[in-house]
Amino acid sequence: MNRSTWTTKLVTALSLTLLLALWQIGSSALDAQIILPSVGQTFNSLVKLLRFKPFSLNIFATVVRALQSFLIIFVVGLLLGILAGYSRNFSAFLRPFLLICKATPVMAIILLAFIWFTSNTVPLFSAFLMGFPIMFVQMQQGVYQISKELSEMASIYSISKKDRLFYLIIPSLFPSLITGAKASLSMVWKVVIAAEVLTVPKYGVGSRMQLAQVSLETSEVLAWTIVAIILTALGDLVFTLFLSLFKRVAK
Amino acid sequence: MIISNISKTYSVEGQKIDVLKDFSLTIPSGTITALVGPSGCGKTTLLNIVGNIVEADSGSVVKSESEEGPVSYLFQEPRLLPWFSVLTNVELVLRPFYESHKQRLDVAMKFIKMVGLGEYAKLKPEQLSGGMRQRVAIARSFAYPGHLMLLDEPFQSLDYSLRWQLVHSFLNLWYNDKRTTLYVTHDIQEALLMADQVVKLSKRPMKIVATHQIESHKRTRKPSDEKLIALQAAFYN
Repeated sequence: MNRSTWTTKLVTALSLTLLLALWQIGSSALDAQIILPSVGQTFNSLVKLLRFKPFSLNIFATVVRALQSFLIIFVVGLLLGILAGYSRNFSAFLRPFLLICKATPVMAIILLAFIWFTSNTVPLFSAFLMGFPIMFVQMQQGVYQISKELSEMASIYSISKKDRLFYLIIPSLFPSLITGAKASLSMVWKVVIAAEVLTVPKYGVGSRMQLAQVSLETSEVLAWTIVAIILTALGDLVFTLFLSLFKRVAK
Repeated sequence: MIISNISKTYSVEGQKIDVLKDFSLTIPSGTITALVGPSGCGKTTLLNIVGNIVEADSGSVVKSESEEGPVSYLFQEPRLLPWFSVLTNVELVLRPFYESHKQRLDVAMKFIKMVGLGEYAKLKPEQLSGGMRQRVAIARSFAYPGHLMLLDEPFQSLDYSLRWQLVHSFLNLWYNDKRTTLYVTHDIQEALLMADQVVKLSKRPMKIVATHQIESHKRTRKPSDEKLIALQAAFYN
C-alpha cells in the first residue's frame, strides 16, 4: 500500500473519530438519553440487537426486498432506457410518468402504496418508482453518448447488427449501466427502509426502527440506523467486488 | 469512375447552402486522385456521396465493375473500438467475408504486420500512440476488401515526420493492391507525393480550378523534387 493510500485512510479514520467525538460531546451536553444517547449506549443496543433472535430475519427481509426491487429496476430500467434512447416517440410517451416519479415525494408514494398494497409489497413498489427513473435516464443518456463516429465506421465497414451490439453498443453503455445501477441501488436501500418504517411489515430493519421509536428507545433507533448504513455500505462493496470480478473475466 | 453533375444542398437553420452544384470529375481506375481545396468546400460531402454514405440531390456516380461493392474508408481520426485489441479491431471488419475465425485472424495479422505493428497486435488502442493508431486504421482499410478507397484527411492531425511514415505505409500497401482511391486533403505537398491526379478545388459551391496529372513513380517522389516544387507553386498561384 503506498503512502498516499495510507494518508487517505488516516484522514478518513480521523474524520470518523471526530464524528464520534462530536456525538459523544453532544450527548454529554444534552444529558438526555432519550434525545441523544451516548456512543456507548448505542453500541450496547447494537450488541443487544445482534443477540436478539429475529435480528437475522429482519436483516434478511430487508435485503431480499432491496435485492428484488433492485433487480426489477435494473431489468426494466435497462430495457426501457435503451428503447427510449433509440425512439423519440417512446421517450415522449414515458416522459409524464418519469416526471411524476421524480416530482412526487417519497413519503406520498409510500402512503398511497400502503392504501393500495400489502405491507410486504409497498417497499418493492415504492423503491421501483423512486429507483427506476435513475436507471432509465442513465441508460437513455448512455444511448445518446454512443459515438456517432464509431457507429458510422461500423456501418461503412458492414459490421453486422449482432457484432455492433456486442462490440460497440454494450461496451459504450457499460459506464452508464454501472452509474445507474450504483445510484439506484443506494436509493433502493433508503426507500425500502422508509417504506418499512411507515408500513411496519412483520420483519424488516425499518419495522424495528419504527417499533423502537414508538417505545422511545432512541439508542435502538440509532443502532438500527447504523445497521442500515452498514447494509448500504456492504451493498456498495459487493457491487464493486462483482464489478471488478466481471472486468477480470471480460479481459 | 465518372462523377457527373452532382449537386447537394444542405439546409442549416432554414438557410439553404449549395455545397456541390453540377460537379463532374473522372477518376481513372486503379489510381489515386487527390482532392485539394479549402476547408468546408464540400470535399468530404463528395467523398460520402461516392461512398454511398450520403445521397446526392441530383447527378450520378458511375463506377466500373471493379469499383462496385464495399468501400474502405480512412477517416480523419482512427475510429478504433477502444475496448478491443488492435487484432480484434481489424478482424471484426473481416467477418462478413471469411467464415473461419483462424482465417480472419491470419488475414488481420498479415495487414497489421504490413504496417509494422505485429508486436502490438494484442494491445488496446489507448496503449498506442496517435500515429500507431492511424496505422491500425490503414491496416483495417486494406484488410477490408473494399473496392474503393476513400481517404478523408487521415494524416492531418499528425506531425510532419509521422505523416511521411504513414504516407509510405499507405503507399506500400496500395502498391500490393491498387484500388481506386479518392483522397481528400488540404496539404498540397502530401497530395503531390501520393497521387496520380491532383484536383484543385474552389470554395463552396465546389468547382474544379485545375487538374494536374503526375507521371513520375510515387515511390521515387521526394518533397525536394523540382517538378513537384514547381507544381506546388502553381497550385498556390
